[in-house]
Amino acid sequence: MIEITCNDRLGKKVRVKCNPDDTIGDLKKLIAAQTGTKHEKIVLKKWYTIYKDPIRLSDYEIHDGMNLELYYQ
Amino acid sequence: MGSSSGKKHKKDKKHSHRSRSRERISTNRGIDEDVTLDLTDDSSSTRQHRHHKHKKQHKEHRHKHHRHKERERPSEVISLEESDSDIYELVYFSGSDCVEVPVEQDARAKARERERDQIPREREREQIPREREREREQLPREQPLTRDREREREREREQLVRDREQEVATPPPPQISKHADYERERRREREVEREREARKRAGRERERVRGARSRSQSPTSSQQQQQQPAREREREKERAHSPIPENGAGDVLSIAETNKLRAKLGLKPLEMDSGPSKAAAPAASGSGSGSQQQESKPRSGGDKDLSAYKDEWGEFLHKPADNIQEKKEAEKLRDKLKQRKEKRFLEERLARIRTLGESDEETDNVSKWVDRNKRVVNEREEAKRKAKELEELDEAFGVADLVEQEKQKTRQQAYSDRNLKGLRVEHDMDDFGEGRTVILTLKDQDVLNEEDGDTLVNVNMLDDERYKKNVANKKLNPLSYGYNVYEEQYDKLGNPIERAILEKYDDDVDGKPKTRKNFVIGENVEEEREHRRKLLEIKTKLAGKRLETLQDTNIQLASDTFSVEELATFKKPKKKVKKLRQKLKAEDLEPLAEAAGTSNMGSRHGRYREADDEDVVMKEEPQIKLEPDDDDLERVLNKARKLKQKENIIKKSLPIDVASIKQDIKPEPVDDASSSTGVILSSADGNIVLNATAEFCRTLGDIPTYGMAGNRNEDSNDMMDFDNNDAMDEHMDGNHEEPSLSHGTWNSVNPDEVMQPADLDNLGDDVEERAILDEEPDVGAGVANALRLALSKGYLEKEEKNRPSNTKMAHLQAKNYSIEDKAAGEDDKIGRRDRFHAGPIMDFKDKETFKPNVKLDYIDDNGRILNLKEAFRYLSHKFHGKGPGKNKIEKRLKKMEQDGLMKTMSSTDTPLCTLTMLQQKQKETKTPYVVLSGSNKNAAGVSGASISKFK
Repeated sequence: MIEITCNDRLGKKVRVKCNPDDTIGDLKKLIAAQTGTKHEKIVLKKWYTIYKDPIRLSDYEIHDGMNLELYYQ
Repeated sequence: MGSSSGKKHKKDKKHSHRSRSRERISTNRGIDEDVTLDLTDDSSSTRQHRHHKHKKQHKEHRHKHHRHKERERPSEVISLEESDSDIYELVYFSGSDCVEVPVEQDARAKARERERDQIPREREREQIPREREREREQLPREQPLTRDREREREREREQLVRDREQEVATPPPPQISKHADYERERRREREVEREREARKRAGRERERVRGARSRSQSPTSSQQQQQQPAREREREKERAHSPIPENGAGDVLSIAETNKLRAKLGLKPLEMDSGPSKAAAPAASGSGSGSQQQESKPRSGGDKDLSAYKDEWGEFLHKPADNIQEKKEAEKLRDKLKQRKEKRFLEERLARIRTLGESDEETDNVSKWVDRNKRVVNEREEAKRKAKELEELDEAFGVADLVEQEKQKTRQQAYSDRNLKGLRVEHDMDDFGEGRTVILTLKDQDVLNEEDGDTLVNVNMLDDERYKKNVANKKLNPLSYGYNVYEEQYDKLGNPIERAILEKYDDDVDGKPKTRKNFVIGENVEEEREHRRKLLEIKTKLAGKRLETLQDTNIQLASDTFSVEELATFKKPKKKVKKLRQKLKAEDLEPLAEAAGTSNMGSRHGRYREADDEDVVMKEEPQIKLEPDDDDLERVLNKARKLKQKENIIKKSLPIDVASIKQDIKPEPVDDASSSTGVILSSADGNIVLNATAEFCRTLGDIPTYGMAGNRNEDSNDMMDFDNNDAMDEHMDGNHEEPSLSHGTWNSVNPDEVMQPADLDNLGDDVEERAILDEEPDVGAGVANALRLALSKGYLEKEEKNRPSNTKMAHLQAKNYSIEDKAAGEDDKIGRRDRFHAGPIMDFKDKETFKPNVKLDYIDDNGRILNLKEAFRYLSHKFHGKGPGKNKIEKRLKKMEQDGLMKTMSSTDTPLCTLTMLQQKQKETKTPYVVLSGSNKNAAGVSGASISKFK
């Protein structure tokens, strides 16, 4: 289990617990559940890389305690 | 850390006995701290330790709010219950503790807060004993009692502490530590840490004691603190593993909530096995102290739960490589098991087989074996006997003979080559090679077709034939449709094959020929073959093919001489016998004349002479020479001969005494070297003289009287040889009489009267002239003749006649200069007339003597003859209308002058005529020399002038 912080810099900051073998899509759903936005509208970014839904966190090398940027589309 | 810890140690000693009760706890903590310390490096821990001392107050404030929140939340206890209690203790007593990870700081801060919260409570509690003391003071009797009780209590506590210290002193369970060295280090560090802790605690305690006034109350407070609510502990636990500081995080869900959510989303629950709680649990249980666990959790625990991803420094960790050795061993083991299994299987199978050594009741027992053998033998004998009996029975009834007969019959009936006789085989006989076996089968035929009878074929051979046919078809020119008119086909023997008309249609649709070569078995094949072979031999012989042995003919050296055998076969080439009659000499003729005199009749005479001649020939053979004769000589000789002949004739005709005449006539030397034409001339009367004309005339027709005597002597050509001015005119009279004498012969023509003397060459011409029409060349004979005819008829013109005609080119003709014309007819009228009357076949006559000498000269204005170069230049100047320049003209004039001089120059003298002068001088002086000396005295008078001239 890892915990990831997602922050849109507009007032929403969420800590999400997830597994490293979850996909980004799963993570988005979890975030959606916590923030109340639709998961389809969520975009996760780290700098300029937009994380894609079908890829696992471990493949993106997202580790425990990492900060992801949260955007909406 | 060493130095600082040392100092602390000293300080600790001061407060050691005061804080005994607390030491118990601190020692506990110390043990746990060991675990953390060996993982972290000391300097950092101390640094942070100090740092946290400063920050402590702020943090307490900050975290207050959160803690309250969490307290309200239902807390989940996952694990670490024991350790949690310890943490609490630690937090309470140690107050601010050194922690590296923010979470810990957090926890400790909370703990501190709690501590603070408790301080008023403690004070309240402390007030109670104070009141009690007061009461005791009020009731002095009771005091010793209470004091005693307190002492007892303290004693008990001390004992407890001692016990615990002993526990701590004992080395930690071996499961945790793997190496002895490691263990030792840890212990050392633990001691150091303990001292540090003690010192710190003492400091704090002092403050607290000051605040609390009474020291004795502290243990109670500690006891109270030990009973911390479990809820709070759980909360700590829950948050502890998170790497994200709580202050930074926004919305957080607990694990349970997350799991619920995940279940709703269809995701698997969070992996807690790798989580920190589970990993920390055994560590806590092993160490038996919670406070250390709290510190170690984020490091060691975090490491463990992420062991799949991180190593101990937080680096990404790769999956450990497979242990090859283990694998190998497993493999080995598996192999071994397999082998065992097989072995067992084999053994089982072998166990079933009876070995030689194994006992067999039947064979082992001798009596049994004998019995069995006997039984077998008996059975055999029985069978034999029965067979014999049956045979005997058969014989008795005569069945055996019948059987024999049957057998023979069947044998006779067996299909043999006799049965094959008369069968037709549909293959060429030559296809069956000698000593080759071919299996023939009956050909497929219609059942109702009985006329053809059975025919045998070999399927493979049929296939071969078809293949050959196909190949042949492929080779054919597709445009000729298999029909070549000009191609001659031959069979094997070289006979041309007669082809039927449109034979290509003889094959049926399938391409199978309707008629095939076949033969009948049983017919005499050998004979036929022999016949064929002979035919073939003949053919080959006719074709010029000879069988030659491959053996070498022995090679011999060519020798210069003949061997005896060769000499026997050798024939000398015969020398050509030259006809010598031609080379008769005058002397030879003399006896001839005599003979003529003796023998009257020419024929007989001639016969005699011939014999005589031969003798002469034989005699004179070696002396005769062939010499080129000149015509004059020949002519003279001919004349002489004729004269002689005439004489003879006269003799014959006139009955004169031969002998007397003979004496009168002086025999002329007749050198009968006949002409190179090879005409045989017979001398005198009896002999025949042949020449070209005579031969020609002879072939003209059968002359009935030719063979008569005397007739031969008359030669029509004789007259040609006579000269008009011949001295023998006197004999002409005699000659005139001759025709009357020679009856039945050709009429001789008097040459004087009829013909002018003409030589043989002109003879033909005369004949031609006489003819009205020319002999027409045979057109069919060739192109040359055809051309000739065309020429003669004027269809074609010769090159010469192709010149421009006079009329057309009259203006080009020279006015005062006429070139002699070639045409012969123009000069005389007769010729011109002839031209018209001769007809188209007549040739146009050329002038015989026409030989024009054509010379082209170019002459310049001065009349000088120009050479080629000059002529060209002259023409060129004229053509371009532009003459040469002045210089050029001068130069040319000079050259011309020089040329003129050169031409006039004498070739024998120098240009200054010195030679002539010299000669003149010599004449003057009448000396053959000229004195050239320059001395004036001597030669001044003589040749001074000349010398000066010569100089």
